[in-house]
Amino acid sequence: MVEVGQDLVDFARMLGELITVVVRVASRPRTFRLTSTVNQLERVGWRAVPIVLLITFLIGSILAQQGIFHFRKFGADIYVIDMVGVLVLREVGVIIVAVMVAGRSGSAYTAELGSMRMREEVDALRTMGFDPTEVLILPRIVALLIAVPILTFLGSMSAIYGGALVAWGYGGINPDVFLSRLKEAISLDTFEVGMIKAPFMALVIGIVACVEGFKVEGSAESLGLHTTASVVKAIFLVIVFDGLFAMFFASIGK
Amino acid sequence: MPAAANGVAIRVRDLVVGFGGARILDQLSLDVFRGEVLGFVGGSGQGKSVLMRTIIGLVPKREGTIEVSGVDLGRASAEERQATERRWGILFQQGALFSSLTVRQNVQFPMREYLEISDRLLEEIAVAKLEMVGLKADVVDKFPSELSGGMIKRVALARALALDPEIVFLDEPTSGLDPIGAADFDNLIRTLQQTLGLTVFMVTHDLDSLYTICDRIAALADGKVIAAGPMATMLASEHPWLKAYFHGQRGRLAGPAGPARAMGAAGAA
Ligand SMILES: Nc1ncnc2c1ncn2[C@@H]1O[C@H](COP(=O)(O)OP(=O)(O)OP(=O)(O)O)[C@@H](O)[C@H]1O
Ligand SMILES: [Mg+2]
Repeated sequence: MVEVGQDLVDFARMLGELITVVVRVASRPRTFRLTSTVNQLERVGWRAVPIVLLITFLIGSILAQQGIFHFRKFGADIYVIDMVGVLVLREVGVIIVAVMVAGRSGSAYTAELGSMRMREEVDALRTMGFDPTEVLILPRIVALLIAVPILTFLGSMSAIYGGALVAWGYGGINPDVFLSRLKEAISLDTFEVGMIKAPFMALVIGIVACVEGFKVEGSAESLGLHTTASVVKAIFLVIVFDGLFAMFFASIGK
Repeated sequence: MPAAANGVAIRVRDLVVGFGGARILDQLSLDVFRGEVLGFVGGSGQGKSVLMRTIIGLVPKREGTIEVSGVDLGRASAEERQATERRWGILFQQGALFSSLTVRQNVQFPMREYLEISDRLLEEIAVAKLEMVGLKADVVDKFPSELSGGMIKRVALARALALDPEIVFLDEPTSGLDPIGAADFDNLIRTLQQTLGLTVFMVTHDLDSLYTICDRIAALADGKVIAAGPMATMLASEHPWLKAYFHGQRGRLAGPAGPARAMGAAGAA
């Protein structure tokens, strides 16, 4: 319980520091580390594309297969399209991507920052008059803020594509039928609900990863411990946030 | 001969530093004179690194004052602090090179931020600094993970000297080097110190370094400086830890020929 409280305090402190740095950098845009951000973006965004496409494709396919298998008993095969469309765009797309980013990039952030701390690189930076939040953390979080929404969009498309293929091959639903039914089943709202969550997930994953990374002390064991904690906490928070968003959207009737 | 006459570069008074319940430094006072090489010794875990990290502002102090070049760091404004920070260079125990940057980028890193100079000039200065610490041009594009321990220390020294500091902090610069490499590094520090007129604060365990390049030595025990002065003062001290340190087996072997060794042998007999 005490630990959860401490985690919340650390999270809030990092968020506060980040906001201060954003304000400062916004007033002197020249100090923003563009090269570093682009570098991170390539790692957490561009290089994640293949695996995200593959996994979401498979998830979409499985959803469709299960849907068809069960709906067929009621002769309601066609509803599989509604299910896949709504589920993927509202929930599954963003959650799968967030979980993958937490496991793939969140852990990498923690391990990198942690080993930089172990080797006193962060101290060296500080003694040269640099702010580690500005130099190390801001570029990483900005990269996530850009990458996660894009990955969510791509992942959702890939999942729907997978669902459509299965619906065609396994359920005998023609792609034309799939598309026109999909257009009726979903609206811009459905899409927005999913996409609006993406940057929040990015922020949660990024902050948790950086907080954990900066907690690493001395030993390799500590590094391993905090990397694990980073992934577990980030995934937990992603799910909690998703639940909170679900309640919020239900209350405003979306 | 550097002496108190040159003025004080670092003045520490009644410094108290602790973590939680532990008091690591207890009312410690120390002067480092301008233009000298001060060797700082003490048992493992006594707080040598903590003192260095407190002076450069990485560890908060509980009480006491730290003045660097006459500026009280506890009361300095942000600008004064930054100006002071620019006047020192630090060599961390493991080098602390930025692992994602090449040797060239590491050395250029502080300059890129503080000096408004063209890329070509930056390039020339970086190469000059690397030559100064005895590295050849073929290492400039390597990453720290591709370097040996000795090379890492040299690059880190080049980076510490990038902004032409007046004071250099070295944390066990020769640890992990073979005796020949360590002697080379000692000579390098001495040469640079003399040509650039540096003030050097050096934490070390290496008796050879103490004998060959340190003008003065300060010893830490129980959170205080128990003795400070040239080698002769150390050798003459009656403090049990200093006697064990300088007159123990290793102390006798490291002492150079001449009065120091004679005194060492006499003390041990
Ligand atoms: N961040 C910290 N938090 C808590 N305790 C610390 C911290 N840093 C150092 N200490 C403690 O302070 C004491 C002095 O540590 P320090 O690293 O200064 O020793 P040292 O004299 O440099 O030893 P060595 O010669 O082995 O490097 C140790 O007991 C260490 O456990
Ligand atoms: Mg130490």
